[in-house]
Amino acid sequence: MAGPETDAQFHFTGIRKYFNSYTLTGRMNCVLATRGGIALLLYFKLGSKKTPAVKAT
Amino acid sequence: MNENLFASFAAPSMMGLPIVVLIVMFPSILFPTPSRLINNRLISIQQWLIQLTSKQMLAIHNQKGRTWALMLMSLILFIGSTNLLGLLPHSFTPTTQLSMNLGMAIPLWAGTVITGLRYKTKASLAHFLPQGTPLPLIPMLVVIETISLFIQPMALAVRLTANITAGHLLIHLIGGATLALINISATTAFITFIILILLTILEFAVALIQAYVFTLLVSLYLHDNT
Repeated sequence: MAGPETDAQFHFTGIRKYFNSYTLTGRMNCVLATRGGIALLLYFKLGSKKTPAVKAT
Repeated sequence: MNENLFASFAAPSMMGLPIVVLIVMFPSILFPTPSRLINNRLISIQQWLIQLTSKQMLAIHNQKGRTWALMLMSLILFIGSTNLLGLLPHSFTPTTQLSMNLGMAIPLWAGTVITGLRYKTKASLAHFLPQGTPLPLIPMLVVIETISLFIQPMALAVRLTANITAGHLLIHLIGGATLALINISATTAFITFIILILLTILEFAVALIQAYVFTLLVSLYLHDNT
């Protein structure tokens, strides 16, 4: 099972230190980034649907 | 015949008052509280069964998970006894109602998820991405795992409802077929009767297995989050 003791065997650098599918932190950040991205996408998509009159001008 | 087939699944009422609450509370009468150090045979057998089940079910859990022992044991006893009592003729089975099973599944599942998010936030969130996933597949897998998380309580409830309802319907249908065939062909009626007996034995097993599966899955969700 993954945990802090098994994370020590991985030595990533740069952005992969925070976003990877091996360490606990990396996996958590990937999950949060994916969900945050989807939430932002939905927010801007729904936001643009609500103001069609402004878009026409 | 069509009206009678589904009549047993309607919420029962007596003189206009719903008695479903009384029916749900009824199985608790079958489990008396132990009042002595050495109890009578019924209570001793029940204690032995509960000890056997709890030892097996809680073996995988750590100290945090074992605080759910009472909840899990109550769950398996309630569902098992309700399912078995439902096999009595003309009885109402509360676990055939999706509303009841959702009422059990959703709070228990939510409890395990909230426990995980509260005490092991990092591990709980990281659980949505299997270790070693290739980079291009990460977003898709996160979405799939999130969807599968929200399907868990639905699957729990629908599994129990469908299994018990289907079993009861089959017993009704085959019992009706046996009665109808008696005047037409005694041999066929006899064969159908044998099938009915085998089906009833199967339903006894399904009643206990479904209770075990429901509780085991809740236990596994808890194990993932503690």
